[in-house]
Amino acid sequence: MLFFFETLIKIALLIAGLMTAAAYLVLVERWMAAWIQDRVGPNRVGVPLTKIRLFGLGQPAADGGKFFFKEEFTPGHVDRALYFLGPMIMLTAALAVFAVIPFGSVLPTRFGVEGLSEPIRLVVAPGMAAGLVYVFAVNGLAVYGALLSGWASNNKYSLLGGLRSAAQLVSYELPLGLGILGVVLVAGSLDLETIISHQAQSGAWNFMLQPLGFVIFFVAGFAESGRLPFDLAESEQELVGGYHTEYSGVKLLMIMVSEYLHMFTASFLIVILFFGGWHFWGLTGSSDVVTWPVALLRVVVLLGKVLLTILFFMVARWSWPRFRFDQLMGLAWKVMLPLGLLNLVVLAVWMEYGRAVAEATGLSYLAATAAVGWGTLAVAWLAVVWFAPSASDNRPQRSPVVQEVCR
Amino acid sequence: MDPTRIMLLAALMNGAGLWLLLPQTGSFPFRRPLNRTLGTLLGSAGLGLMASQLPGLGEWFSGSVFWGSVFWILAGVTVVAAAAAVVSRDPVYSALWFGLMLLGTAGLFLFSGAAFLAVATVTVYAGAILVTFLFVLMLAQPEGRAGYDRTSTEALLSAVTGSMIVALLSIVLGRVLGLPEAIAISSAATGGTGPTPDVARLGTVLFSRYLIAVEVAGVLLLTALVGAAAILARRNKCPCEDQTTANQMDSPTEGAA
Repeated sequence: MLFFFETLIKIALLIAGLMTAAAYLVLVERWMAAWIQDRVGPNRVGVPLTKIRLFGLGQPAADGGKFFFKEEFTPGHVDRALYFLGPMIMLTAALAVFAVIPFGSVLPTRFGVEGLSEPIRLVVAPGMAAGLVYVFAVNGLAVYGALLSGWASNNKYSLLGGLRSAAQLVSYELPLGLGILGVVLVAGSLDLETIISHQAQSGAWNFMLQPLGFVIFFVAGFAESGRLPFDLAESEQELVGGYHTEYSGVKLLMIMVSEYLHMFTASFLIVILFFGGWHFWGLTGSSDVVTWPVALLRVVVLLGKVLLTILFFMVARWSWPRFRFDQLMGLAWKVMLPLGLLNLVVLAVWMEYGRAVAEATGLSYLAATAAVGWGTLAVAWLAVVWFAPSASDNRPQRSPVVQEVCR
Repeated sequence: MDPTRIMLLAALMNGAGLWLLLPQTGSFPFRRPLNRTLGTLLGSAGLGLMASQLPGLGEWFSGSVFWGSVFWILAGVTVVAAAAAVVSRDPVYSALWFGLMLLGTAGLFLFSGAAFLAVATVTVYAGAILVTFLFVLMLAQPEGRAGYDRTSTEALLSAVTGSMIVALLSIVLGRVLGLPEAIAISSAATGGTGPTPDVARLGTVLFSRYLIAVEVAGVLLLTALVGAAAILARRNKCPCEDQTTANQMDSPTEGAA
């Protein structure tokens, strides 16, 4: 039974933390938007029923409350069952991913509880051998949320938004997987904790060793979280609101929160796979035997890195225009996919012959790996510049009428 | 009674139940609610009869009530979703029931200790293939639903075939599970504490013993991909324009490069 209580406590902590973080990061994002656009931003709402403003820190509570008290209108023309199911699938899938994502390392104590044979690991499902594939599986289910809510809304804009979102998510899953494969190959495991401890032991984070894989994963992660410049699914100027055009109240809140959670997932994965997770040189050590300060420091380091990644996501949102749909697909299939394959092949060959080459040249293995990685990135960059597969031409194309006559 | 006879009787009930449940033109053979009720009753009775003849199934509860009920819930969800996928009148709902069935199957894999197989099933089938199905279905019928989508053609034949396949597999399974070594394995695996297959070991086996099969499957998929691209490319070609202008038109990137 202790096993259940431990897991339940972790789940409660995780969900509470994620929801609070989502609420307050919305506020941070609005501040950041204000800063970039030279405005003041939300700074009014403080303690309710008083005049204390507190820099606008009451804003998330007010926003959340507003969502709950808004009229929850269900249009008459929707497919009711799927209309309700869509947001639920989205939120469930977005939360379920975090079952295998560590939010720290281990705790040193057993809290004096009999029966806990192992130290407590700060992840809901520790030791899941197929952790990364699980992330992919559950992320794949998130597609259903967008697709179903778009279709069930029975509205052209919603349907277009849902289809766009599904096409985008399915396309970018390939480069996402190819970016990860290099890391998996080097660490020899699909378990996220093992991948972190592998980086902690060697001291070299993966983004130094395989920068091409990092770039691919980073861009694909942006696309998977569906934020600017990849937010075609809900581009306001074309589709009103995309697949959530017809939603209001708590269901809209569920969709918004799950979109935010997707960004968290992407940030966590970027940090864990490529930036060493809880590892920081000279601060956190690398073994599983820890003291309390080190254990807490690891949590702080991991969450700090994640916060920085999220802030980068937000800056990018206010710095880039949106892609056009053909550019989006071209980027996935003509740029990311070949480069991902290149990265994988180079890494596989290096895993086989790297040690011999490093010995022959007298370099240390890590330095040689990094050199090969950055060399691959340079080659990939030159190839993209030379072939320019995503450069697009806006000259008038052959008109559909001519094509009709032709047939 | 002889177990094989009981199995065949169960198959008959399954087939009749499925035939009643399948959507057919008009209200054939009875009115629709009656069809549904009768079909559900017959089908579940048949399935229960079948399960009673499988030696491993009756003993799931003996290990632990919790794990036993987890198994039965997962199995129930899978079977009900599979039936609903076949009998549903709306293609989109059929696809979704199919998705639920995949989740149930993945849960059963997970229950048997095959975690990698479980997540791989969800990734490949639910994450990629079924999404493509749904995509096509949603584009194909933006308004209204055609009659041929709502009824099943050849309901009788499909019910007979389906129930026969289930019956034959169950008979074979029942014989195999009745062997003493199989009983030993299944009782060891009860409660999810059996040997968990390692991902690395699966990879090693796939890429050594079954290397040729993996390669052949890969080549087959690649061929299908190239074929699809070739079909698409031919349809887009315009015969009456000369080749040079067509080329220029088809690849707008050339000028930019």
